Amino acid sequence: MTLDLALRTTEILLALAFLQQSAEHIATARRDRLWFIARMICCLPLLAGLQTTAALGALAAISLFQLHRFQGPYNGGSDRMSLLILWCLLAARIAPDLFWQEVIFGYLAFQLTLSYFISGKVKLLNPEWRSGRALQDVFALSAYPVSESLRALAGRPRLLWVMSWLVIGFEVVFPLTLLNSSSLIAALVIGASFHLANACLFGLNRFLWIWIAAYPSLIWFQGRLLGADL
Amino acid sequence: MQGRYLAYMVHALKLLLPALIPSWEFFKAVEPSPRVQWRMLSSPKDQAPPWQEFRPRPAKLSVFAMVGRLFWNPVWNESLFMVSLAERLMLNPTAHSADEIRYRLAAEIDRTVPGEKHRKYLQFQLIFVSRDENGLTQTITHVAAPCLMNDIAR
Repeated sequence: MTLDLALRTTEILLALAFLQQSAEHIATARRDRLWFIARMICCLPLLAGLQTTAALGALAAISLFQLHRFQGPYNGGSDRMSLLILWCLLAARIAPDLFWQEVIFGYLAFQLTLSYFISGKVKLLNPEWRSGRALQDVFALSAYPVSESLRALAGRPRLLWVMSWLVIGFEVVFPLTLLNSSSLIAALVIGASFHLANACLFGLNRFLWIWIAAYPSLIWFQGRLLGADL
Repeated sequence: MQGRYLAYMVHALKLLLPALIPSWEFFKAVEPSPRVQWRMLSSPKDQAPPWQEFRPRPAKLSVFAMVGRLFWNPVWNESLFMVSLAERLMLNPTAHSADEIRYRLAAEIDRTVPGEKHRKYLQFQLIFVSRDENGLTQTITHVAAPCLMNDIAR
């Protein structure tokens, strides 16, 4: 994947994710509607590939308003990834030359890799995660399970132990999948499935769309590192 | 005016920094989990009616509903924001967190239980659910003062 194609694909996926997020905001908080309508309008040229640098600049300015309005991210990690992608795209578009474009977009790919590896590492170091107890607590007491019936999974410790180790294993091993294009594609399919499961079980739908939006950066980055063009 | 604008920008950039250099430590540990409860009062010294949980989750959710929520999930995402606000209110209390909880509770009450409108005051409390050797326990960590519904901008 060329840098231009990766940047463009990321812009389209980001615009789609922002349209979805903004529509949700408009539906819930009347007093924020104008800002999120403006955000949706800025997504349209980004989606169409018209004046993309200006559109990214306007979206970045709106993102500062959002941070001020909500005094931080609205939806934790998914908002953080949204901001990271947005600001990396803007910086790449206004970068003075190809070298800096690659450094900036490579930074996004690096952070995407870290997003899996570090969350796997902290789980691996935590005995509660290694025993499956932490995942039991997620189902038993956290605010995430989307229905009361899902809380019953807390009573299946063997299943949750297996699930915990599958998650830890995938996250920790993720950086190694960069060594080969086929393994990376397989890892991204597993990653997307992991986010899909989180979206279904815990209602974290924004994570699914925004993490997928960052995937082209990694596909480009891997090709750039290994000299292959997927 | 310029100083105020500068302070606003510096504050926004401080909030932006953790997104540009993220920690990515998702679920490092499963901390006590907050629930927001509310009640309406006729007066601040009214005999208190029982607390109601903010948006209790459904008993079951069909696969069809789960798939639909991949694309449209505004209410749940707002509920997750309420969880963040409750956590912020305990870790680093600010007027913003309390006001935002009141605003979203008032909007929800307007929308779903208009019959409560004869009572003028809204009050909320935070309960944190945790696990100890005896199982799950609930601790009340914050009881907000009653607030006039008409004073809540929405």
